[in-house]
Amino acid sequence: MTIRSFFAVVPLVFAVACGDSGNSPKDAPQQIDAGAPDASCFDNPQTYNEIINACTKAVKVYKDSHPALLNADGTVPNLPP
Amino acid sequence: MRRLSFLIALAIAVPHRAGAAPCDTLTNPIYLQVGDTQLNLMKRLGRALRDNTPKPITLVFLTSGSCTNIAALYDGVKIKAATSLQYVPSVAEDPAWTPTSATLTCTLPADLLPDIANSALFNSACRTDAPPATVHLTQGPAQAYVMAVPTASTQTAITFEEAYFVFGFGMAGMISPWIDETQMFIRTVTKSTLLAWAANISVPGDKWKGVRLDGSPMVVSGINTGTAAAIGILGAEVYDANRATMKALAYRAKGQYAAYYPDSSSSSHDKKNVRDGHYTVWSPTIWMDTIDATSKAPVKPDARYVVDLIAGKTVTPAPNFGMINIIAAVGLVPDCAMGVNRTFEGGPLTLYQPTESCTCKYESLVDTSSCTACTTTCATGGVCRNGFCEVR
Repeated sequence: MTIRSFFAVVPLVFAVACGDSGNSPKDAPQQIDAGAPDASCFDNPQTYNEIINACTKAVKVYKDSHPALLNADGTVPNLPP
Repeated sequence: MRRLSFLIALAIAVPHRAGAAPCDTLTNPIYLQVGDTQLNLMKRLGRALRDNTPKPITLVFLTSGSCTNIAALYDGVKIKAATSLQYVPSVAEDPAWTPTSATLTCTLPADLLPDIANSALFNSACRTDAPPATVHLTQGPAQAYVMAVPTASTQTAITFEEAYFVFGFGMAGMISPWIDETQMFIRTVTKSTLLAWAANISVPGDKWKGVRLDGSPMVVSGINTGTAAAIGILGAEVYDANRATMKALAYRAKGQYAAYYPDSSSSSHDKKNVRDGHYTVWSPTIWMDTIDATSKAPVKPDARYVVDLIAGKTVTPAPNFGMINIIAAVGLVPDCAMGVNRTFEGGPLTLYQPTESCTCKYESLVDTSSCTACTTTCATGGVCRNGFCEVR
């Protein structure tokens, strides 16, 4: 199994395990390629993460952003003193 | 050239001195110390209250940073005698006056504690001590904040991570085109605009890189005269009044899949994304007045009348104007139209249902309301309020 196919399968495994709570992301991507827009959204948002990613007719701006100073895990480093 | 532009902006911001009478000779003066983001509100509400026949009031106000305003009431810091304060004329005094006109000034005859102080963000973002027993806090309309760039800029959005590097690292953050710290127009550390953004992008106010400016008009001027790499922070209502010469960036919060404008699009004025939580950079405005420490009764009932009006509460006597209309016109969002809430600056959003919704009325003013119009009752459910069937 290649790394690419591994990451393609893992979301499917979780999707099956979680079932449908009625509040799963719509159109959840099966693969998230670097920089590709994530079109997931939530129909019945309850948590903070769901609220900010709730389905909406508002204009969405997708930005492919890769700041050079981001840590390898995607977090930001401490501010300079 | 930039210095000249700032001076011009300052000159525009300075109110006219025509008729600098003693402030205490004006009709029923209520003294306020408010953030400069609230200037448009002061003008429109001030005009309406001058001609509020059931209870005429003159709003006499001074603009200053939110943290300074909090200190005024928490610590009893008086406005000094001879200070020039602003107010607006009644219709009888100047029928041609509009909110784009300059304010008038009066002179404060003696040291005075303001009747009302305003903070355009959670007070806890300025100081963590509890308010004194003599100060009453009321949560008012929500205030959004934007990052704005010149119309010549090719940029349309900024992410949490980019904003962190731009303002936390400056040039060293390497976020093109925002790598020139002389083109980053920010505010001083007592200002709500800076502190609200600071809480949202995790860069403490005193750590920000850029040119620190005292007033919003100076930021507007900086953006308008800056290069395509210019970027500045503004209250959304200040931006709304300057849309012709700049554009707001959509903002993508940490953990968010897309970036959003405060409004449903870059050209609309509906603050839809503020109301439903897609645009996360907003704060409640906090309105403080003085109360008796024992009875908790307001020391100046007419000051509470003004605070309650701003907060959208029912007041007696009822005013002869629509308060929601004024709130909507100045780019604020009444609490009764909000669908989300938070408990501290930059904190996580939670779902919110106001006790008495005004979403239909608000949307009828800023967009197109799809709600059913009504006069007294709603046959299909809901509550008839302000001419619309509201959900509750």
